[in-house]
Amino acid sequence: MSVPARAPVRPTATHPAPARRRTAHPVAWWGWALLLATTAGRTANPWLLLLIVAVAGLVVTFCRGDEPWSGAYRVFLLIGLTAVAVRMAFYIVFGGSDGPTVLFSLPSTTLPDWAAGFRLGGNVTAEGALAAAYDGLRLATLLVCVGAANALASPRRLLRSVPAALYEVSVAVVVALSVAPQLVAGVGRVRRARALRGNTNRSPANLMRTVAAPVLHDALDRSLALAAAMASRGYGRAAGIPAPARRATGAALLFGLLGLCAGAYALLGAATPAPVAWTLLAAGAAAAVFGIAFASKRVPHTRYRPDRFGPLDWAVLASGAAAVVGTVLSGLTDSAALWPATNPLAVPDLPLWAAAGVLLAAAPAALVPSTPKGTT
Amino acid sequence: MTSGTEGTGALAQEVAAPRPRVRWRARLALVLAAGFGLVAMSWPLLTTPGGALTETTSGPWLFALLLPLVTAAVLMQLSDGGLDARAVAMLGVMSAVVAAVRPFGAGAAGVETVFFLIILAGRVFGAGFGFILGCTGLFASALLTGGVGPWMPFQMFAAAFVGLGAGLLPRTGTDTRGGRAAELVLLAAYAVVSSILYGLLLNLSFWPFAITQGNLAYVPGGGIGENLPRLFAYSLATSLGWDIGRAITTAVLIALTGPLLLRVLRRAARRANWV
Repeated sequence: MSVPARAPVRPTATHPAPARRRTAHPVAWWGWALLLATTAGRTANPWLLLLIVAVAGLVVTFCRGDEPWSGAYRVFLLIGLTAVAVRMAFYIVFGGSDGPTVLFSLPSTTLPDWAAGFRLGGNVTAEGALAAAYDGLRLATLLVCVGAANALASPRRLLRSVPAALYEVSVAVVVALSVAPQLVAGVGRVRRARALRGNTNRSPANLMRTVAAPVLHDALDRSLALAAAMASRGYGRAAGIPAPARRATGAALLFGLLGLCAGAYALLGAATPAPVAWTLLAAGAAAAVFGIAFASKRVPHTRYRPDRFGPLDWAVLASGAAAVVGTVLSGLTDSAALWPATNPLAVPDLPLWAAAGVLLAAAPAALVPSTPKGTT
Repeated sequence: MTSGTEGTGALAQEVAAPRPRVRWRARLALVLAAGFGLVAMSWPLLTTPGGALTETTSGPWLFALLLPLVTAAVLMQLSDGGLDARAVAMLGVMSAVVAAVRPFGAGAAGVETVFFLIILAGRVFGAGFGFILGCTGLFASALLTGGVGPWMPFQMFAAAFVGLGAGLLPRTGTDTRGGRAAELVLLAAYAVVSSILYGLLLNLSFWPFAITQGNLAYVPGGGIGENLPRLFAYSLATSLGWDIGRAITTAVLIALTGPLLLRVLRRAARRANWV
């Protein structure tokens, strides 16, 4: 659909200007959350990890809208708690690091040699349990950061930021997102019609034949109608991309994949020096990114109200980066506080630089709070 | 309501209108991506002592970031020159169906309700369609349920190859009763193999950061002899039951719903041939 770029839509009362949107760009939210997750990955200090969870929760509370995915933070918090519990259970049954303070002893047994000779049960020590708890807390914090991104970033807006070269695939996902609710409605309609016909048979075979089949037929027929509608509006005609450009894209992508493959295999073995392997991997990734960006430039699709990355979005990203910088500074000054020892038992210190950085990452709560009636 | 309206002769001609064509460049890209994916998932077993990956703990994160790039490159090659409008619409609807049935499997242990759809659709619409459906289906369902996480690239990638493999299975005649039965048996057997492989590979990709100490943890630089028994014990302790449950439910679902769904999908493929 190579529509010439039209004049920008003038803001009116019913169509507020896009600049007035209050919530940040979904890419900014994902970047912020991944930077927080990186921070969590660089430490095992429980105070710092709990601070990260608290900051993520604060920002989610202030900035989320009221869309269906906005409750994701709580779900991921539960998954994180499960991760801690599973980690502790693994420690108690299969053992881990040991220490002198024995809390209690389980009957222990050693598996035979063919099963790798593991020891099950045995002493449960305070030091080992603490190490397992720190480790589980680290994984839980990573998961909670991802949950915050899920709660904050609108998937529909995220889909608009997919590279233009993947336009068709992203259209398919958009179709999927809008068809899924229709499927649920379709099931209700078919069931009502079935009840009106007096069919109360509950056997799975009958349900399959009289509910699943009509719903699926309906959905597939609708997809054909949609395809006809799209085709009649000029969708899917061969885009006028010159052959050399297409060949260049293909070559860049293939060389990128080749580089990524070679780099990954070189990383595995000891035969290739590590710098060479990392360079190969980076070069492959760069070639693939270039191929995607190059192809996106050539695609003659215009965007309606493009979602620009504004200064507020950069501020959100910068606040996430502050947490990483703080952790790196703490790592340079006192790395012992970032990786507290569990043997002997001690109350870990709070590394100041890292804590200050993580507190700065709460800035989005003040920068882009959600409006009372939800987000745009 | 569908049976009887279609003659067996119509079923015999394999009409596959919305099949994205798989060109040689796309094939090459798929092979390279498969190679990369194998390393990305099974690097804990493949690294040798002294390799660059053994010294860092960032392996899974690195691959979780690079896999979307690889997937995007392959998808671009597959849809090079523009996908047909019918293929896009069909992909959207099938992804919606995948996203709609996925929650049914979330509650019970090991019940997986996604794969049978991807396998059946890949069988009817071809390998390229199966690959893209594996990606878009899991992506759409993750977006709808807010389940985007570090595991998603691995899941999408593995499910894409499940769909691709279903499209590459050898043809059996669909015009005789025996041929249709043979097709179902073939698909069910493929479902068992692919479900167990999928579970093992995903386990492998998550293992190094699910547990880091103790008898079941990955030993950096331990080599395959040290790590394989540990992986086996970890799988046994965590997910083997789920993997077997997934294999059984997928095979049973294919056997039960296969005759109906294959007919529905083939009818749609035939009707889509309207140009």
